[in-house]
Amino acid sequence: MRLPRFDYFGPDTLDAALELLATHKEEAKILAGGTDLLVRMKKGLLNPKVLISLKALNGLSYIKKDDEGIKIGARTPLADIISSDLIQIQATALSQACEKIGAVTLQHYRGTIGGNILQDNRCHHYNQSKFHRSGRQACHKEGGKICYARDESDRCNSTCQSDGATALMALGAKIILASAGHERTVDLENFYTTDGIMPFAMEPHELLKEIFIPFQGGQSAYHRLAFRSAIDYPIVCAGVLLTPSLTQKDEIEGARIVVGAMGRSPLFLAGESAGLKGKKFTDFAAFQTAADAAMNSAATFAVHNVGGTLEYRRAMVSPMVFRALKEAAQAADR
Amino acid sequence: MSDYTIIGKRMPRIDSRAKVMGKAKFTADLKLPGMLVGKIKRSPYAHARILNIDTSKAEALPGVKSVVTGKDTEGVKWGVFSYTRDQQFIQMEKVRYIGDEVAGVAAVDEETALEALDLIEVEYEELPAVFESMEALASQTEPIHEDFPNNINVHINIETGEVDENFKRAHYVREDTFVAPEDSYFMAEPYAVAARFDYDGCLEIWCPNGGPHMKSKPLSNAFKIPLHQVKVRKITIGGAFGGRSEICPADYICALLAKKADKPVKIEFTREENSIATRQGHAMITTHKTGVDKDGRVLARETTCYLDGGAYISTGPIAVSVPFLSMEQVYRMESVRYNGYSIYTNKPIRGMIRTHGRCFAAGLDTQLDMIAEHLGIDPVEMRLRNVRKPGEHTNTKSKVGSCAMDETIHKAVERSGFKDKWGKLPPFHGIGIGTNAVQVGFPMGIRGGSQSFIKFNEDGEATVMSGVVDNGQGNDNMLVQIAAEELGLLPEDIHLVSADTETTSSDPGSYSQVSTFVGGQAVQIAAANCRKKLFEVAAKVLKVKADTLAAKNRLIFVKDNPEKSIPIKKVVRISLTNFNSVNAEGGYWPKVDMKREWVSNPYGQMCEAFSFGTTIVEVKVDPDTGQVEVLNATACQDVGKALNPLVLEGQFEGAIAMGGQGGMLTEYHEWKDGRCLNPTMLDYKLPLACDMPNIDTIIVESIEPKGPYGAKEAGMSIAMSAAQGYSAAVSNAIGVYMDSFPLTPDKILAAIKEKKSRPQNKES
Repeated sequence: MRLPRFDYFGPDTLDAALELLATHKEEAKILAGGTDLLVRMKKGLLNPKVLISLKALNGLSYIKKDDEGIKIGARTPLADIISSDLIQIQATALSQACEKIGAVTLQHYRGTIGGNILQDNRCHHYNQSKFHRSGRQACHKEGGKICYARDESDRCNSTCQSDGATALMALGAKIILASAGHERTVDLENFYTTDGIMPFAMEPHELLKEIFIPFQGGQSAYHRLAFRSAIDYPIVCAGVLLTPSLTQKDEIEGARIVVGAMGRSPLFLAGESAGLKGKKFTDFAAFQTAADAAMNSAATFAVHNVGGTLEYRRAMVSPMVFRALKEAAQAADR
Repeated sequence: MSDYTIIGKRMPRIDSRAKVMGKAKFTADLKLPGMLVGKIKRSPYAHARILNIDTSKAEALPGVKSVVTGKDTEGVKWGVFSYTRDQQFIQMEKVRYIGDEVAGVAAVDEETALEALDLIEVEYEELPAVFESMEALASQTEPIHEDFPNNINVHINIETGEVDENFKRAHYVREDTFVAPEDSYFMAEPYAVAARFDYDGCLEIWCPNGGPHMKSKPLSNAFKIPLHQVKVRKITIGGAFGGRSEICPADYICALLAKKADKPVKIEFTREENSIATRQGHAMITTHKTGVDKDGRVLARETTCYLDGGAYISTGPIAVSVPFLSMEQVYRMESVRYNGYSIYTNKPIRGMIRTHGRCFAAGLDTQLDMIAEHLGIDPVEMRLRNVRKPGEHTNTKSKVGSCAMDETIHKAVERSGFKDKWGKLPPFHGIGIGTNAVQVGFPMGIRGGSQSFIKFNEDGEATVMSGVVDNGQGNDNMLVQIAAEELGLLPEDIHLVSADTETTSSDPGSYSQVSTFVGGQAVQIAAANCRKKLFEVAAKVLKVKADTLAAKNRLIFVKDNPEKSIPIKKVVRISLTNFNSVNAEGGYWPKVDMKREWVSNPYGQMCEAFSFGTTIVEVKVDPDTGQVEVLNATACQDVGKALNPLVLEGQFEGAIAMGGQGGMLTEYHEWKDGRCLNPTMLDYKLPLACDMPNIDTIIVESIEPKGPYGAKEAGMSIAMSAAQGYSAAVSNAIGVYMDSFPLTPDKILAAIKEKKSRPQNKES
């Protein structure tokens, strides 16, 4: 498998990168590690004329904190996030999620947090070679009118398998998108379209610059299920955040339950989350109820397209959510 | 214990350093002057008639040097046996699976070659396709191959003893069906082949192979050139596991492109091509019906197995037989009836695989455990009552020589603490045992024997020539160890010329676990003959009788008076100046029944030795997710004699990974209308190093009188018994006997749930 031809730029300032993006727009893709992008290019799934590498853009690699929260540069290597005490303590779910991405070597040398959030949705009917996709009709994501994962579906059901995005959504993260002369901040949970073809609400000339995790004074946890212990995408995952009441410290004030790898984006389950308000951190029965409800809500989004059986993946939402809740609660209770 | 200097010692392999440093050269690394890039156009349809192929646009593309289709092949067909020739190297009339070869191109670079592939226009008429063996069997549509109406391409029937009578007198009879889908080898090296024709019309070819002589003959047939004109060269090989045994259509296409372009051509497979267009393990449906006496001894067994054979027969007759053979080699059965069927489907071609018949073997052991439970016998005792003993005959009339089956069970049981654990572990924590046996070789006709030549150089070092190929398991090192031991030299003094059809003699290849037993033995005999010549000269110099001499550490010395010695180098030089030959040859042909044939006569001496293995596995199952954590695997094999324990332990560990951890827990192919959905390393769930459990390896040496130094084979009966051990352990942990493999978490969880919902009666 070979890479198609492309022009390569390696800007060393954000302005230069944004300038290039403004010039090339749809024809350009950002290379921020490449573990997702280059594989898709080799498979002939996309053919950008221009690659803008962030390799030299060291200015986008940082982990900082201020009074309000943690700021992470989008090009920060996963290894830096994993080894950060700040993130391990204040944003445990993200630390746990990053540890599961790829393998140690990929975390160290290639993978970046921005790249993980913006990894394209996956489907085992779509993420295939050109040969595999020949001799049949093109699917929605290839520009056709058919979905091989769900019969009669009028849209693409590709699955978001980003560990990082699931954890960050649980943490209530915001992302900062930059373009030439402009910046905007978006809540991660509002960043997704409901379209598997282009899952991100982002303009071609925009660049993911920074991730902001607000301090909420709670505990978070992330659990995922895969076939192997490394080099594997999750087939189900869950990130949660539990914050204690200011008056009753053993009571949950706010909860955020997010289920990943089940739909076109990580799923923030508002109802199930709200149901935990006022519960004790030791109320495992409430966690089980929430986990089962989360399973029922998330199950409808999933299709059979990332390996494993659909029935199994759906059933696994509950234990993943329960385990994440229990772990976060126990950490909060400590 | 032994008098050996090098044999039996833990010697790092001669090829390790180059491999770990990335310096070993594989076929894909080859660069020949003027070499072109070859690519293969494959069918995107599972079953279709070819109406027309138009290559004109591809041929007109600048940079394209040759294009070949079925028209260039004269329609030659390949098959392992004269009665199984069903596959054209490039299809002309019909394609039968997604990936079938329809054309080849060679161009100056990969980009041009890929562009040329797109420019080849093939008109197809799609035909109804069948993807499962039962569906194919009942299919009323156009058969996949004309002459096979029910798509059955191989039927093997074996019957010995009074099966029906014995079922009648059996104390307990049960029948169970077990299933498993296809699995793949995932050799570290994707397939690649490089070929060129020289000015004399000789074909020189490099490719991963299970035996160079197994490649040269079909190529000589296909090109209608004498055998000596096909020169299969040695190259580093990154794994075979049975999947490199036959000629690959790409070998022929590559050579044809090279011939037509008059330039060297190399084809490198993508990982996907390696998965779908080389070979796979068969999907199987196996029914075992077993009748035992009140002590649990098997009186009668009837096994029926349907193998999904894919689009072409390939090694079908062997593939249908081997699961049965392993069964009859490891377990005594007073009588047995076997009906094995290989059925054409519109899926990729299947071949031999290291754990051939995982559902067959694991099913058999599962059923034994079920019977044992019914009779109140523990699994270890059940096996001790039924396993093979030395000196017996298998049902198909092979005499079993050395056999330390019992000892492997006892040692594995002791090391794993099986007796203290079985039945006493907490819920969802289990332990299981598997036992298996494997033939060391099978009748291979004219290529059943191996011959070796050894020449001494005047510096006292020796060159050993042998047809044995190293697929990665350490055969090169094995040959060097044997030659060094016999010649009294150090391993670094031995220079190996091997696996090259021009310079080495016929050899069965790394096939059916026979390399050490046959090829290694040929080198041992050649080296002993060579040593004899040196001793005759040394005896004259030392003024002693030749039979009083021994050789070690580059010296020939008097056994009773080691001070009296002469360097081998000096003996060589004296020999040469006195007109004495210092070269020798040797050969070994196993005494097997040459009348034995897979289909027409599956009886007679199969091989000269059998290896026996026991694997005990301890697991913990997560009852909420069905995920299995393997705590420990104990692998114990009767290898005859361990020539190099270091290498053997590596083979055992690899066998646990392939047969157990991958083969029984995660590895299987998923399909959509004949399209393989997980052909890549990301999507096919091969276990990683970090997924592997702790492994205890135990070597048992029964010293096979017919093997070199008593050696048989290493690793194969572990790979098979690992499958059985893993499934038994999981079944034990969840309290449900599993009948569908591999044991993926969804199946385990479903079984746990089903058990919970069952009414609490004690029906087994």
